[in-house]
Amino acid sequence: MRFPGLVENEILKFARQRRFRVVVLILVALIGLIVFAQSRGRERFLGGKDWHVETQERMARIQNWLRDGRMPKSSQRWARFELDRLRYHVDRDVNPDAVSGPLFVRGFANAASYLLLPLLAIVFASDVVSAEFAQGTIKLLLTRPVARARVLASKLAALLLAITLTVLFGGIVAYLFGGIAYGYGGWEAPVLTGFRSSGERLDPAAVRSIVLWKDTVLAYGLAWFAALCVGAIALLTSVLLRSTAAAMGTMLAALIAGTILPRLAPSWEAQKFLFVTNLPLPDYYSGTPPPIPGLTVGFAAATLAAWAVAALAAAFLVFVKRDVLA
Amino acid sequence: MSTAATLSGSSREIVLSAEHLTKRFGRREAVSDVSFDVRAGEVFGFLGPNGAGKTTTIRMLVGLARPDHGRVQIRGLDLSRNFEKAMGHVGCIVEAPDLYKYLTGRENLLHFSRMLPEGAAERIPELARLVALSERLDDKVSTYSLGMRQRLGIAQALLGNPDILILDEPANGLDPAGIREIRQLMRHLASERGIAVFVSSHLLSEVEQTCDRVAIIHRGRTLAAGPVRELVDRVASDRLRLIARPVKRAAEILAPFGAAEIADDDRGADEGAIDARIPKERVPDALRALTAAGVDVFAVERSLASLEEVFLEVTGGETV
Repeated sequence: MRFPGLVENEILKFARQRRFRVVVLILVALIGLIVFAQSRGRERFLGGKDWHVETQERMARIQNWLRDGRMPKSSQRWARFELDRLRYHVDRDVNPDAVSGPLFVRGFANAASYLLLPLLAIVFASDVVSAEFAQGTIKLLLTRPVARARVLASKLAALLLAITLTVLFGGIVAYLFGGIAYGYGGWEAPVLTGFRSSGERLDPAAVRSIVLWKDTVLAYGLAWFAALCVGAIALLTSVLLRSTAAAMGTMLAALIAGTILPRLAPSWEAQKFLFVTNLPLPDYYSGTPPPIPGLTVGFAAATLAAWAVAALAAAFLVFVKRDVLA
Repeated sequence: MSTAATLSGSSREIVLSAEHLTKRFGRREAVSDVSFDVRAGEVFGFLGPNGAGKTTTIRMLVGLARPDHGRVQIRGLDLSRNFEKAMGHVGCIVEAPDLYKYLTGRENLLHFSRMLPEGAAERIPELARLVALSERLDDKVSTYSLGMRQRLGIAQALLGNPDILILDEPANGLDPAGIREIRQLMRHLASERGIAVFVSSHLLSEVEQTCDRVAIIHRGRTLAAGPVRELVDRVASDRLRLIARPVKRAAEILAPFGAAEIADDDRGADEGAIDARIPKERVPDALRALTAAGVDVFAVERSLASLEEVFLEVTGGETV
């Protein structure tokens, strides 16, 4: 009857299904692989050179490409931006490619925010309601003296908790593995962030220096928020489709479409209103040039939140009103 | 009036009442204007062939589906307006006893006790004993037989001390021993604990043996409702079986009083059985006519109809 008991039920169901263990394994295996591959590649890449020298060389390479003129328009924009970013680092005497365990953790937030974490959120969310239909247990769950809205609310609470734990766990595993490869210290190092393009060039006014741990907390907060929003949208597909496979398939298709669309159709501006385009919140925050001009972290977060709220409203409405005939 | 009729007399409190339930799927009316009351302490049978609208009706009784017309009242509470309170009085199994297979029996019961007012969890040991599952309670449900799942489902339904237990085809998929166990359990719950038991079935013999009252549903409509004995009597009141010699002559004499037919096995025999349909008030005359004609009558008995015959009669010949 009491809400905590209902949430406890949903957590029990999460924890006792194989899914949760699979997700934990995926995270450990994937992060381990990334660290291993990166540390290998890195040794070859630097070859013991000083970072000042290495960065200057890279800037020269980019300038050559630009002068060459054969680069496509969209890449030119990115190249100029990167050039400005590197120059800015050299001017401030901050290594743009510094490595440390904490920096790896920070980088993981960006990398995971647009595919891995949403993917895991989808894995959790897609069967929250549909599994009850598939098992037939929905008939028991909805004939107990608990209003349907409260049943779904308890499921939502457990889902948000599971996603939160997954993001936290991802960060912890990244730190553990990153630390093995690059050392555990360096949380106090300054990082330059907020690179924003104003038209064609980098806007130096927006660049700030921030202590790494604060930057990391912010980035993870954004990645977490994005994952929660994806979870809310996936919950709606689970309610609507009543089949885990169909719900997961739909969300995965959306996710994949979202990662290719900006590359295939960069000029279609309306795609910035799609939820998938707005998932890489940490990227938009740290100032990688956005795929669509005009995407800022604030806009992206607001768009995601609007999607999530609308999805939840629809999910509750359908769940409460619809006849259970399966 | 038979004993069943007095048992379910109007003195007993109505626990659940379905009033003019109607449900449409598109153009098809799956359930049309179905009404009945279920009273405390009785086993109420809901009989009909597969696809007659039984499960759809049950889904409306437990709030899984919304009726297009009509309403369900449980202990006087309107189900659609007072869902949480009304369902507090109900325990049910809809279609199959589907529980969480990856959890143990005990975990399943704990899960559903958390959806009830406090104290439900304390009843778990007692209920496990009642349905004879104490030994296997800590095994995963995936290892249970269908009969055990059915019993766990009943334990689950009883967790909240319901006033009415709604069971949808509880005999489905069970072996004869399992069917008997469930039947005894239902009778026990009704007579010892005063619970109203609503049970749907497509098996006539099942309903005949278990239920006090029955409603027959066919193509979404209730065709007959009442105490089982009363329904059977209504059909069977004019049925007689006689053993007579010579059987052929006896059949000829009885024919004017009503229908009379020699039993198949005895067509050629001298002495044999006759199945006759003679209204009660004409039976003495018929017997006098037989003796007057010198026919030996060895036995006369009222033949009891089965619910099946009731069913055939009310549905106009369609079998279950």
